Amino acid sequence: MEKEQLKQQLKKQIITFLNLMQVKPEDIKDDEPLFGEGLGLDSIDSIELIVLLNREYGINIQDPKEGRKVLVDVNTMVDYIIAHRTK
Amino acid sequence: MSRIFITGMGIISAIGNDVANNRQSLTQGKSGIGHSELLQSRYASILPFGEIKISTTDLKEKLGAKESGITRTDLLALHAFEEVIANSQLTEAEISSPRTALVGATTVGGMCLTDELYHDANKQDQGSEYLSSYDCGSVNIYLQKRYQIGGIINTINTACSSSANAIMYGARLIRHGLADRAIVGGVDSLAKFTINGFNSLHILSNELCAPFDENRKGLNLGEAAAFLVLEKEEVTGNKTKYAALTGYGNSNDAFHPSSLSDNGDGPFLAMQEALAIANLSPDKIDYVNAHGTGTENNDLSESAAMIRLFGIPPAFSSTKAYTGHTLGAAGAIEGVFSILSLYNGELYAGIHFDKPIPTTGLRPILSYEKKEVRHVMSNSFGFGGNCSSLIFSKA
Amino acid sequence: MFYIHDTICISPQTSYTDIDLGKINGPVENKLLAKEPSYEGIPLGILRRMGRAVRMGVGAALQITKQNLDGIIIGTGNGGMEDCIKFLNQIIEYEEGMLTPTNFVQSTTNAIAGQIGLMTKNKGYNCTHVHRGLAFENAIIDADMLLTENSSAKYLLGAVDEISAYNYNIDLLDGWFKKEKLTNENLYDLNSAGSIAGEGAAMFLASKEKIGASAEIKAIHILHSDNEQMIASELKKFISKYTSEEKLNLVLSGENGDNRLQKYYSTCETQLPEKLAIARFKHLFGEHASASALAVWLSCQIIIKQSVPKHLLKFPANNAGINEILIYNNHKGIQHSFILISRVDG
Repeated sequence: MEKEQLKQQLKKQIITFLNLMQVKPEDIKDDEPLFGEGLGLDSIDSIELIVLLNREYGINIQDPKEGRKVLVDVNTMVDYIIAHRTK
Repeated sequence: MSRIFITGMGIISAIGNDVANNRQSLTQGKSGIGHSELLQSRYASILPFGEIKISTTDLKEKLGAKESGITRTDLLALHAFEEVIANSQLTEAEISSPRTALVGATTVGGMCLTDELYHDANKQDQGSEYLSSYDCGSVNIYLQKRYQIGGIINTINTACSSSANAIMYGARLIRHGLADRAIVGGVDSLAKFTINGFNSLHILSNELCAPFDENRKGLNLGEAAAFLVLEKEEVTGNKTKYAALTGYGNSNDAFHPSSLSDNGDGPFLAMQEALAIANLSPDKIDYVNAHGTGTENNDLSESAAMIRLFGIPPAFSSTKAYTGHTLGAAGAIEGVFSILSLYNGELYAGIHFDKPIPTTGLRPILSYEKKEVRHVMSNSFGFGGNCSSLIFSKA
Repeated sequence: MFYIHDTICISPQTSYTDIDLGKINGPVENKLLAKEPSYEGIPLGILRRMGRAVRMGVGAALQITKQNLDGIIIGTGNGGMEDCIKFLNQIIEYEEGMLTPTNFVQSTTNAIAGQIGLMTKNKGYNCTHVHRGLAFENAIIDADMLLTENSSAKYLLGAVDEISAYNYNIDLLDGWFKKEKLTNENLYDLNSAGSIAGEGAAMFLASKEKIGASAEIKAIHILHSDNEQMIASELKKFISKYTSEEKLNLVLSGENGDNRLQKYYSTCETQLPEKLAIARFKHLFGEHASASALAVWLSCQIIIKQSVPKHLLKFPANNAGINEILIYNNHKGIQHSFILISRVDG
């Protein structure tokens, strides 16, 4: 899958997984921080996103520090998915 | 105002099936947390638990609980209830009096039967015998029916502070003249539901929990039940008065659905209010039975609140390192431990502790100690920001 | 006891805004489903995580918590049952694998009171009573004690329960809901076991302040028994202790069409003063653990408007004004409550 396509797919998955009402994929910028400002997600969302990576891409992140490095923005997530996906 | 005394205690936990055995484990610094033998869960062999080593079938047999739809939660509650009734020498007439209240707490209720609930809720067959046993109210409805308890009956669920609030509600019923006596406590049994819930939040430790330790990795879940008989002075007669319940406070941390604020507002306010109700200054507290779950968040927040309230906190420890975190039962079993500390003049050692949290420097007491104890504070904090604190005093 | 000021109700009926109890909204597939508002007061970032019960509870409460409150007291039989089973389904379907925590956090019954406390930054008293059909009644007792302890205080008092596919299934299998096709009209006449499922949230501002109050909760009594004679005799004592034939104008009966429970209502009716008006409410709100909270809301409406919608009446009244209303509710034949509500003079 092309990187751009993967980004679009991931954005849709984030919206569904976190039930981000009224947010459209195009509202999420690739380099916009997911936490704090930007989408305004919190610590429970970060766990939800780790589960998303597990269920959709077969990626198993155990170490929370690793999670923090991956879950910065859509770009960092996609790069990690490309490097580590098992499905 | 007439004082409220504790005239009976009943308990079953991973460190003993009755009050005497629980006390023995506490004085010996012996934890009941370890490998589970009965639990049916993928995590049974991976994580340590504070399990009671009596099977549900054996409990039924032992207690003569032949009714249909009885869950492990009901049975643990019944076990502790039988002990508390005997210990307080309550007669049938006293139990069924409209002046006797029952206030119990549970967070899991009959949801310990995770698989049965799954089948019933998704209507996969004709329905199990447990259809009316899943909700939190079912436990106390069962006890009411079995013992024909005649007064106000209530069930409280404020997550991990549930049974502290049940004790508080019972005491207030007495204080307001709505009961002469209240049997108060809580119960929770180990359940796939709570194990997976806490695991999904990444707060279960795969090692023995280490409350207040710098390198604490999370909590261990446990199961337990405990009840106290609270009586107003006028009806206690010649009974042993183990302690008086003198203070209680309930506050909300209003910070986050599943974690506490860094400065521990909720814990601080609950402890402060309990002291105000007991009319005590902080320096009068001889021992704090801390909530101390062993999670990164709780222990830090609770430490901050204790430092704010006490300056230099009194002797404290968390008995969750012995029993595991028993959720809806925690406030009640730790109430029993607090009363045992007062009645016997002894403090229970914090175990599994190595190094203090650098930013607080707080160390729980590390060895069993005989000591005159006049006032004990017992803390319970839960999800939803629900924080409660109780104060027991020498009778 | 204490006074009720603001009242907010989300229910299957038109009860949230532009209250209209003259017309009845009927059941859909035997379920009286709440007409949920758009919840404009709840930020989307928070709303997205809420299940139905939490949403209804918080949505109704936020209209009341605009004032400074001393605490939050909530009753609920099941809390967020839907989230609870969603989490349970995950446990089974993913074989206890990696699970999402939101359903778990939302499923604890205290999530409603906790969320209200969090959103309104209320650090005061916060408690959730979950004693099935007497959850709200215990919340009333709690509020009464708190207001006696501090007579200048104000509390949010309320209850909420939801219909989820899951608790509906469980109670249906357990025989608490009728299987024949239900309408608002036929509920009381089918002479069969079970009732109609319902849901809703009712929230009140409770205080000792008489001025401006909508109604007063004058007395409450709760009991556990399956003996109808005992219930009836307790009812008689309750009436003679707290009210009188002159003052009492209406009984709101929790009758729910379940022919197994009819004996409690019928026996209790024999203890009522002759020619007293009796009204029913379960065809509006359905049967659930918080039904009595909706009955308290309905009583406040009747007192404010000084009239009883005709379709509620089982025995009509012959007197004009409504001074006191007695609610008798019964949950699953074992949990009973009497609540006395009065008009506020002057």
